[in-house]
Amino acid sequence: MKQSVLALTLLAFTLVATPFAAEGVKVEKQEWSFQGLRGSYDKDQLLRGYTVFTNVCMACHSAKYVSHRDMMRAGFTEAEVQALAKNLNMNIDQKLLTAQDNQTAVETFGKIPPDLSLMTKARAGLADYTYALLTGYSEDPELIAHTFPKGLPAGAHYNKYFPGHAIAMPNPLTGPDMVTYHDQTPASVEQMAKDVTLFMQWAAEPERIERQHMGLYVILYLVIFTLLAYLTKRVIWKDVKGH
Amino acid sequence: MAHTPGSKQVENDIRNTYQWLEDRLPILSFINNSVGSNFMAPRNLNYMWNFGSLAGIALVLQILTGIFLAMHYKPDVAMAFDSIQHIMRDVNWGWLIRNMHMVGASFFFIVVYIHMARGLYYGSYKSPREVLWGIGVIIFLLMMATGFLGYVLPWGQMSYWGATVITNLLSVIPFIGQDIVVWLWGGYSVGDPTLNRFFVLHFVLPFVIVGIVILHIWALHEHGSNNPKGVDLKTKGDYIPFHPYYTIKDVFGLGVYLIPFTFMVFYAPEYLGHTDNNIPADPLVTPAHIVPEWYFLPFYAILRAIPIKELGVLAMFGAIAILLVLPWLDKHPVRSARFRPLYRPLYVLFLMNFVLLGWCGMMPPEGIYVLIAQAATAFYFGFFALLPILSKFEKAKPVPTSI
Ligand code: HEC
Ligand code: HEM
Repeated sequence: MKQSVLALTLLAFTLVATPFAAEGVKVEKQEWSFQGLRGSYDKDQLLRGYTVFTNVCMACHSAKYVSHRDMMRAGFTEAEVQALAKNLNMNIDQKLLTAQDNQTAVETFGKIPPDLSLMTKARAGLADYTYALLTGYSEDPELIAHTFPKGLPAGAHYNKYFPGHAIAMPNPLTGPDMVTYHDQTPASVEQMAKDVTLFMQWAAEPERIERQHMGLYVILYLVIFTLLAYLTKRVIWKDVKGH
Repeated sequence: MAHTPGSKQVENDIRNTYQWLEDRLPILSFINNSVGSNFMAPRNLNYMWNFGSLAGIALVLQILTGIFLAMHYKPDVAMAFDSIQHIMRDVNWGWLIRNMHMVGASFFFIVVYIHMARGLYYGSYKSPREVLWGIGVIIFLLMMATGFLGYVLPWGQMSYWGATVITNLLSVIPFIGQDIVVWLWGGYSVGDPTLNRFFVLHFVLPFVIVGIVILHIWALHEHGSNNPKGVDLKTKGDYIPFHPYYTIKDVFGLGVYLIPFTFMVFYAPEYLGHTDNNIPADPLVTPAHIVPEWYFLPFYAILRAIPIKELGVLAMFGAIAILLVLPWLDKHPVRSARFRPLYRPLYVLFLMNFVLLGWCGMMPPEGIYVLIAQAATAFYFGFFALLPILSKFEKAKPVPTSI
């Protein structure tokens, strides 16, 4: 029985691991501050990501589940979020909605840009995919001709990581310094992509830090509980024949 | 149980609370006889016997978390997806409740699969426990239905398309299939009426399961637990009282279970889910691969392995229904696989094959994957076909006369 359980577990893990290796364009893994047992969202990076999001992405995209007040959950004070919202002529309870209406979007891009609140959880590759997508544009004619011998479809742009490689979104981060950061971090394309992805990750999982911090204590508690239960069991069972 | 009303002398002294209640509603002795010191269990049960009570706890946890989710969830196609985000973001501890419910469903299935594999290994389905086993199979079917219905509720892409694919299976029923599907949907496609009734059914079914679990345990108590050696117990010394021996063992088992469960709840709540379900349902966009939840995958693979749709559906349901007749397929007199030199390796292959089927269910239904799934499906049914033959010819190792 024991050997078969072990063999089965191994088999299951090997089989589960295979499809991910086989699927689509491989997305490179990035280091993220929110990962790991004690992960967190860096407040400065979050603010930088917010800057990119509101200045660039929000021209087309919304984050309809997110308001400025929510940022207080990530360590911003009420005064800070009030100031940020005021800059955008918003109150802190309004959601981050784009000013672009759907009809204009459809006329311009042929589709409505998706809401970004849950984006980092809605694609295989998670946050790494969003980062790869934002840094994956290419205008290399050879590369494009190789994938699209008849030329890119009308209105589409070449992206290495988008499934099918023809994306309706024009490269939103065309060059450095599209935004000015509050902490003077140089705004390279990679930096902006990284920061805005972090912001989107926070938007998708604002509860993540609370849950990761709490989880450690719950597990610790359970380990002690289980240990005590085991010792109690040993004591109770010590007179049973065969044990 | 059957006494004439009023025939018993009762004390009226309420200060003797235990006896006072006992004379009016003997619930305390009932509990003690069922899971207390008055219920005798074999003394040699191993940890595989922990999974029944674990399944019970998992069921209760699903019901409790589910009730709290239902207080905030809205079964309306225009609001369902948003209401889940409302739970995750605005409801106090909403994320914890939802993660527990989501991870809990998967863990419930893990526990029940192990519980079933245990029964299969130790021959617990054999006489006199056929009905106990059969009730188990019915619970399993109801669990699958509940899991399927629940997955539709968040109204993501996989919810919508999973529901569409699975309900469409019923259209293979001759003559009336199409009408049944329309009746089930409450319209001409999966839509608002479908979501609303799926919510109602998803709320009701777990309570039906509770009722059937009570029958399950009733049947268990009629003959008591089987044991790793699979032999009938003869002497009183072979038994120990359920409480405190198995209660403490179950508490320890619960702790071991809760550690990985908690890890998933807090650190990887969506690991077993699908990213497409974070996209709101869109009837105009079909996902590249429609995959059901992992616990359906082996049966999904059987469905897709067979090129004729009608036969595929039949094989999928047959794969579960065949468990109902298992006690009559395997009539070998020895229960435990420990003493069956042929059944034991066959059993291990069967489980491996089952995992392989699950993997096939995950892969696209094309090329080599179809062939593997077909071979695995053949083996799945081949296993059951071999059992009557083994029953006749397999020579068992010497079986001890007692534990
Ligand atoms: C000029 C309008 C516009 C701007 C600005 C814009 N996007 Fe987009 N975005 C789109 C459109 C249109 C799509 C739909 C693309 C498609 O499905 O082909 C899209 C899709 C996406 C997707 C989904 C890709 C997928 O896998 O389906 C992501 C992620 C995304 N945008 C992120 C961003 C980020 C981050 C920014 C800001 C740095 C941004 N976008 C700025 C128009 C825009
Ligand atoms: C909600 C799901 C279920 C619950 C709560 C449950 C509960 C239990 C409990 C408490 C026991 C006694 C403890 C033990 O032997 O582990 C038991 C025994 C048993 N169950 Fe289940 N069960 C469930 C599902 C199933 C299923 C799906 C099957 C099989 C198809 C099954 C078959 C059996 C059998 C054969 C036994 C007797 C085992 C033995 O004595 O060796 N059960 N169940």
